[in-house]
Amino acid sequence: MVWTVVTFAGLAFVLARFAWKPILAALDAREDSLRQSAAAADKAQKAAEELRRSYEAQLAGVESKTRDLLAHAESQARALKEDLARTAHAQAERIIDESRKKWADEEQRLLRDLRADVARMSLLATEKMLRRGLDKPFQDRLMQEALGDFEKWAAPKP
Amino acid sequence: MNFVHTLEHHLLDHVYSHVSAGPLSFRFSKHLLVMWIAAAVAAASFVAAGQMARRGKRNRWVLFVESLAVFVRDDIVLPNLGEEGRAYLPYFLSTFFFILLMNLMGLVPGSATPTGNISVTAALAVCTFFMINVAGVREHGFGGYVKSLVPHGMPVWLLPLMYPIELLGLLTKTFALCIRLFANMIAGHIVILAFLALIFLFEKVWVAPLSVSAALGISLLELFVAFLQAYIFTLLSAIFVGGAVHSH
Repeated sequence: MVWTVVTFAGLAFVLARFAWKPILAALDAREDSLRQSAAAADKAQKAAEELRRSYEAQLAGVESKTRDLLAHAESQARALKEDLARTAHAQAERIIDESRKKWADEEQRLLRDLRADVARMSLLATEKMLRRGLDKPFQDRLMQEALGDFEKWAAPKP
Repeated sequence: MNFVHTLEHHLLDHVYSHVSAGPLSFRFSKHLLVMWIAAAVAAASFVAAGQMARRGKRNRWVLFVESLAVFVRDDIVLPNLGEEGRAYLPYFLSTFFFILLMNLMGLVPGSATPTGNISVTAALAVCTFFMINVAGVREHGFGGYVKSLVPHGMPVWLLPLMYPIELLGLLTKTFALCIRLFANMIAGHIVILAFLALIFLFEKVWVAPLSVSAALGISLLELFVAFLQAYIFTLLSAIFVGGAVHSH
């Protein structure tokens, strides 16, 4: 019994000192490193997830911005188109108005000229009739002459 | 053939020399020799593994010892002692491997089983008893440990009854450790010898194959029991030390 206690105590001491201490230390170190690498992998995964989420958010922002820009451009184009149409319409109206007025003026002027010419012709005819006396056939001839002159004047100029 | 003589030859110790020092007697015997061989094997192989582990080497032997150490740590010591168990871990590792090697020595032909000697198992149980009390005093202080021996909230008049009972329980647990290991290790040997003795009792040739195959089966069982009893001794030691460390 004494031998056993002595042997066991000695063995326990030697093993504790030279065998179990380094083995358990190595085990603990390895388990620590495993735990650490697992934690590091976990962290890296979390970081990647974070990055992905931020990219997604950014992408969504870009998309909505693009949509806004497109809508803005579209509305601008529509406004421009309407503006152009309105301007063109107004311009055409003005041109039409202007030409209408010009034509009316021209008409007036022509009529005025015509009236003046007719008056001069009739004055001329009257003068000739007065100079030749009261001979009826002569008078008729004069009349005919005057009318012919008038017709010649009134005929459209080539 | 003298059956009693054969049993004695195989089961009992053989004293080579004897020295008395007062009340103590130191005997150099076969069991002691085998125990020393087991201790030497344990010291050499595990110290070698430890030194290789210290240098960061990781070969098969180191990994094998490590896996056994992890088994003792995670399945025997830490569940019963908690984190405080790390301080007692070397003791339980030594207990497990020392008992295991002594048990396995008994399966080597021509050798003997030191754990089949009640003096050896009694000494191991005394070591566990010592560990239980040392751990209790270390965790709670002497007064605290003595107080923690009986359940908390006990009526004062019951204490004179409870202390002897609890102390007796402590001794019984240790005594059971000693007897369990001894009986388990010697029982297999007795059964093997009984099977082989049948051949000489019947003195018929056809008995031999039956007896030898039965003995072979028991030998294989003994191989299992060698591991099982080392495990149980260590596990119960851990439970008792854990009970002293985490007293109710």
